[in-house]
This record gives sequence, structure tokens and C-alpha cells, in this order.
Amino acid sequence: MIASRSPVAQLGIRAASPLAILAATYLLFAGHNQPGGGFAAGLVLGAVVALRTVVALQRPTHSTGLIAGGVGLVCATAVTTLIWGNALLDQQVVSITAPVLGKIKTGTALPFDIGVTAIVVGLVVALLDGLGAADLATSRPLRGGRFTRNQTSKDNVTP
Amino acid sequence: MRAGLATAAVAPAATAIWAMTRLGNGSLPETAEVMWVAALDLGFVFRAGPFALLMTTIVSGIGALVFVYATGYFAPGAPAGVRFPVSLLAFSCSMLGLVLADSVWTLFIFWELTSITSFLLVGHKHESDAVQVAARRALMITGTGGLALLAGLMVLSQQVGSPLLSDLEPVGGAAGIVAALLILAGAATKSAQVPFHVWLPGAMAAPTPVSAYLHSATMVKAGILLMAVTGSAFADVAAWKVVGFVLGSASMLWGGIGALRHRDAKLILAWGTISQLGLLVTLLALGSGKAVFAAASILVAHALFKATLFLVVGEIDIRTGTRNIDDLGGLYRSMPLATGAALLAGLSMAGAPPLLGFVAKEAAIEATLGLAGFERVAALSVVVLGSVLTVAYTTRFLWTVFGPGPATTVASRRLAMTMPAAVLAIAGVAGFVALGWVNDIIVPAASELNAEAASYLLIAWPGLKTAFVISMGILAAGTVLGGLASRRNGAAPAPIGADQADRGLDGVLVFGRIVTARVQHGSLPVYLATMAATVSLAATPFLFDLSFAHLIWWDQPIQMVLAVAIAASAFMGVFVNSRIGAALTLGAVGIAASGLFLVHGAPDLALTQLLVETIIVVGFVIGLGHLGRSFPAVNDGWRNTRIVISVAGALAVMAGLIATTANPSGTAPIPELVEGAVNDGGGNNVVNVILTDTRALDTLGEVVVLATVALGILALAKTRTTPAEELAEVAS
Repeated sequence: MIASRSPVAQLGIRAASPLAILAATYLLFAGHNQPGGGFAAGLVLGAVVALRTVVALQRPTHSTGLIAGGVGLVCATAVTTLIWGNALLDQQVVSITAPVLGKIKTGTALPFDIGVTAIVVGLVVALLDGLGAADLATSRPLRGGRFTRNQTSKDNVTP
Repeated sequence: MRAGLATAAVAPAATAIWAMTRLGNGSLPETAEVMWVAALDLGFVFRAGPFALLMTTIVSGIGALVFVYATGYFAPGAPAGVRFPVSLLAFSCSMLGLVLADSVWTLFIFWELTSITSFLLVGHKHESDAVQVAARRALMITGTGGLALLAGLMVLSQQVGSPLLSDLEPVGGAAGIVAALLILAGAATKSAQVPFHVWLPGAMAAPTPVSAYLHSATMVKAGILLMAVTGSAFADVAAWKVVGFVLGSASMLWGGIGALRHRDAKLILAWGTISQLGLLVTLLALGSGKAVFAAASILVAHALFKATLFLVVGEIDIRTGTRNIDDLGGLYRSMPLATGAALLAGLSMAGAPPLLGFVAKEAAIEATLGLAGFERVAALSVVVLGSVLTVAYTTRFLWTVFGPGPATTVASRRLAMTMPAAVLAIAGVAGFVALGWVNDIIVPAASELNAEAASYLLIAWPGLKTAFVISMGILAAGTVLGGLASRRNGAAPAPIGADQADRGLDGVLVFGRIVTARVQHGSLPVYLATMAATVSLAATPFLFDLSFAHLIWWDQPIQMVLAVAIAASAFMGVFVNSRIGAALTLGAVGIAASGLFLVHGAPDLALTQLLVETIIVVGFVIGLGHLGRSFPAVNDGWRNTRIVISVAGALAVMAGLIATTANPSGTAPIPELVEGAVNDGGGNNVVNVILTDTRALDTLGEVVVLATVALGILALAKTRTTPAEELAEVAS
């Protein structure tokens, strides 16, 4: 396991995680006017999850929950726009003046983006699980660098 | 569960009362419309015309009674759960949407919703294998019909030029025939017409409240409703008449024979439903004003008497523990109230006076007498034969179950079960007594479907006319036949066709597995080679379109540096022998490409590309843990093939890019998009406003694809067998 061999990597990733989550939050909110958006935020969070998996730190494991929640939120936003009598997904813009932060412009695009983020994170978690990330946490490295779970390499079958 | 059922009864009861207050008072139809994709003219359009209101009353009125009945059907000790009340209410809503729909798309959506909710209801006791098979059969047959219906509605709305049912006008030609046949297929599967009827007897595996609701008054009537509302468009299409007549006649006769063969009381009623639906299909296919009027009358009468009979059979089942007519007898002594309800409903079904079923049957006979030539002979003989069979199976059912003989011991009465049946049975009598009021309702409803129907009335006592004489003849012949049939004993007959239908469905699944095993062989290099080869072939047209005049070396010199970096990394990737090394060079290609995006002024794209590359590299690190460090050796022939295909793929992409950039089709609508993003979407990042607002529907579709992919990965990781291995397992 990389964690057992490289405490530096583990510590570094642990220290960087909160900053990356902050960055993802920034991307999510900045998305409407600057580079970023729900997809990018999801990818940053996904990268955090992937790195934490490699060094056997805690990470979200309920991919189906994330995906279902994301799809649910996206669909709910889509239908909610019908309330204003517009077409499906005709997003509404709302301006709020908050005490400290000043004028905030937001709208129904925000929950939509949050849903997209959740789906992307869920996809990454599912991908990691599909690649056998759950086994990583328990397996011990052998001398040759291969993990104990032995599997025939199906991706190299010659016809 | 019982409290849930009682609560759920309120909604249909309120709807039924609303619909009844508007019935027959000549008020203008109310309409409602919610557009959800204005650009595609897709919306939910509802219109409560006289016919829709009549159907609403039936659907919601019987619905409310069935909810009350179900509180008695499920014993106090029944397992708690909201699944059944929720599914039943969801079905009730779907059916309501279906009868009120005025747009073909709205109609289709609710049509499919009734198929799905009825699947849940039929499969309520899903622990049993037989129930699973029956529910699947019902879903597959009605679902396939639904696809035919969708195609038919598309053709029809294209021909008419409007998706609104209230705008329908006669269509003709080849398109008219295609639309008529497709819509008939949809109607025949839903309304259990021969040869698609095999799902209905199986669906009797559902709890009896479900059968009473879905399989008498509502879901099986959806096909009839469809034929009724679209019939005016096919007035000139001969195929509609001929195919509809053949389907309806075959179902009427085969259903009647089935009802005489079976010994399970619920199956007798199910086969009787097939027969009655056949009569309705026959009348609607004939399409004359009189026939449509008769169909509307029978629709109402049938909903009342068939629901009553199902409710009574459910009560018998609960109180005696059996539905086999051989084990039942003498119930007139032990269950007098239920007997009374069954007798009224049964006589109405047989078409005996003085009940609503009698006047409706008279109208049907009158309608066939009103035809001419061969049509008259064929229609009259089918209706008479079918009616004789109806009287026969009704007589056999009533006589063996309720008639003289040693009385079956019964458990105590449950009032919640007896009352709804009594209410519906009395409604059949009241309909005859207050025939003028019934006429006020049925005549406008039928004339909405066919303007000629306005000149007809239901008549309580027609005098000694031909139709009345024929009616009495039918009753006499049917009673004799039924008396003979009720003496016959024997084992329950084997179902015909149901097993074959199931085997056909299994065959489709096995065929799918065989194809999957062939196509999904599990070798990633072969998948990639197939894709690259396809791309190369698809790009050949571009070769005739090549021009190099517009090519320049670079916009900015840094692009050349990045391009060299990409090419160098790619070459290293080809020659490096360790897997981790290959993964890293691929990462380098991606990162350099994101640099190109950045230089081009697309920071969003660059950011996304960078993040994706990061995750892919980490994913490789995890995934490669399961594989060897270096690539396995491959033989020369396969290596050379791979080289050729890769180079061809690369050249094809290059040719495609050069050719398409040489001939741009129009100018990009950049100013419009920017302006729309800033003013309408309220954001300065045009790319993101396009993603979340302007083209948000596309994004919605894309994220659903992502979610599906994720679930696919999870499923794939769980199985860990290839399709070929799976097929071998199934075969063994």
C-alpha cells in the first residue's frame, strides 16, 4: 500500500483535502461568471476522493446515494422552473443583498449545478469501486509490487 | 395499510363528485394546459368534454368504492405497508390523466404509466414465481403494444398536423392505414384482444380489488377509449374496420368459450371481460353513429356489472377460502346480500330486463340491424353468438355458485366488502329506472365521438320489435346452454397460449445473451480496434474534400511547443513497456492538450481537461494494481494490425479536421449566445450559462447518461463474469 510506504504522500493529501474542497466550492459558485461550474467542482472533489483512496484515507463510499441524489436534484430543479410558468429548465435569476457579502446574484442554476457535482463525484466513487478500490485498503503489497488479488488480465487477450 | 387505503379513497371520491356535478348539464368543456418543452410543442393538455367526464366518473367513482372495498379485503392482521395504497392511487391518477388527455403525447405518457403501475399491482404478491411470470407477461405485452401506439400516434398527428385529439380529422392513404393498424395493435394489447389476450387471465394473480378496478372498469378499457377517441380519424380507412372487426369478433367468441371452460370464478370473469371487450371493439370498428352510441352504453353498463361481480367473487374468496366453482354452492342462503348483488349484476351482464345491461345490449343489436349487406349478416351473427355465450357463462356461474345445493360454510361478513358491490349493483337498476337521466349523459358523450350518435336514445321498453325478439331468443338459448355446461365436471383446463407467450419472451432474452456473448467478447484492444477502424472508414468521404490552403503553422508560437510535447509524449507512450509509464505519458498528452485549450482562450475547457487527466492517472494507479507491471507479449500479426488501424484512425481524424475547417457551414452564432447569456442567463461565463440554462436540457440528458454509466460500472464490478461465461451458465 502506498500509505504504508509513503507517510509523506498520506500527510500531504490529508492536508490538501480541505483546501481542495474549498477550491471546489469556489468553482461551484464562481461558475456563472468565471471559469468553473458544477462539472469542474465535481471533478476537483472526485480527484480528492481518488487521491484519498490511494493513500487509504476515509472517503465517501455511497456512490448510488450520490448519483440518485444528484439526478433527483437536477430533475427537481428542472420541474421547479415550470412553476414560474416558463419552459422546462428556463432558469430563474435571483439577486439577494446579504449583510456582509453584499449583493449576491444566484438562481435556480445553482441547485442544478450542485446536482451535477453530486453525479460526477458519484461517478468517480463508482469508478474507483469498479477498479477494486475497496480491495486496496486491505491488500498488502508483495515484493514484486503486485497486490495479492490475482486476476487474469482480460484486457490483453489476443484474438 | 387500511388507514392508508381509507385516506386514499378521498381523492377519487372527490374527483367523482366533481365530474358528476358537471355531467350532462351542457357546460362547455374545461381545458388545462402545461407546456414543458415549448420548442417541441410538448405539453400536458387536458380537456374535460362529455365523454371524458363520463369516463372520469367511472374511473374515480369505481376507484373510490374499490379503495373502501380493499379496507375489508385486507384483514386487520394484514402486514402494514404503503406500497399497495400508493400503487393503486398512482394507477388511479394515471388512468384519470389518460381519460382527460387531449394531446396524443399526454395520452401516450399516461397510457404507459397505467402499464407500469398495473405491473406493480399485478405483481403485488411478488414472492410467488407464478405472480412474477404473470406480471412480466402483462407488462411485456402491453408495453410492446405501447410502442406500436407511439408510432401510430406519431403518424396520425403528422397527418392531421396537430397533436390535439379535438383537432382530429379523417386521414386516408397509406399513412392512414399504417396509423390505423398501429393504433389498433396498441388498443388490442391493452384491451386483451385475441391473440394478445393471454396476459389478462394471468393478471388474475393480482389481489381482487385490483382485478375489480383494473380488469373490469379501467385499464382494459383504455384500448376501447383509444379506439373511441381516434375512431373519427379512421372513418374512411377500410383496414381499421376489417381488422378491428376480426379482432373484436374473435375475442368475443373465444372469450365466451374460455369463460365456459374455466372453473375458477375469477378466471370466468376475466374471460368474460375479454368477450365483452371484443363486443366493444367490434362496435367501435363498425364506427357507425348507432354502433358508437351502443358502445358508449355498453361501456357504462359493463363497468358497473363487471366490477360488481369481481367484488363479489373477492368476497367469496375471502369468506370461503376458494374460488373454484366446483367447491362452491348454495351461497344464496349463507351470503344473501352478495347473492343479491351478483344476481343483479349477472342479469345485467346477460342482458336481461329491467337492467341497464338489457337496454345497452338492445342498442348493440339495433346497431347491427341498421347495417346493410354482408356487414349486417356478419355483425349480427357475431353479436348474437357472443351474447348467447355470455348468457351461458353467466347462467353457469350464478347457478353453480349461488344456486341450490349444500351451502358452503362461510366466515362472517365484512361490511366494507359487501357495501361497494351493493352500491354498484343498485346503480345498474337505477340506470334502468332513471333512463332519461342516463340518456342525458350518454348521448352527449357518444355524439362527441360521432356526431350521428346524437339522434339515438336508450329505450326501456321498445315493444315487440325485431331487436327485442332477438334478445329474448338469446336469453333462452344461452340459459339452456349454460344449464348444460354447469352439469359438466372436470379438471381445470390448461391455459392456451400463455406458456407459448412466456417461452417467446424467454427466447428474446436468450437471443440477447447470445448476441451479447458474440459482440461483448471482453477484449479491450479488440473493442478499441473496432472503434478506430469504424472511424477510419467513416472518414473516407473527407478525403475527397481535402484542401490545405487555409492551414497555418500557428496563431502563437507556444502552440508549436505544446504540439511537439503532445507528439513526443504520444510516441513515448507507444514504445514504453511498463504499464505505469504508459499511463503517465498519456497523462502528459492530456495536460499538454489542456495547455492548447488555454492558449486558445478556453479556460473552462482547459480546467476540465486537467481535472479529468488527474483523475484518470489516479484511476490507472489503482487499476494497474491488479495487472502485471508490463504489457504482455503479442504476436507480430496482431501487433501489425493494431499499428495499421491506429495510424489509419489518426489519419482519418486529421483528414476530418482539415476538411471540416476548410468548409465551415455558416458563421457561429457567437454574438447571440453571448448576449443571451448575459441578459437572459445573468452570467458572464457564456460556456456555463449554455450548460446550465440555454441548453440545460442537453446537460440534463448528459448527466443522466453519466449516472447510468456509473450504475453500469457498479453492476459490471459486481458480476465479474463475461457474457460468454454467463451464457454457458444459463445453458448448463
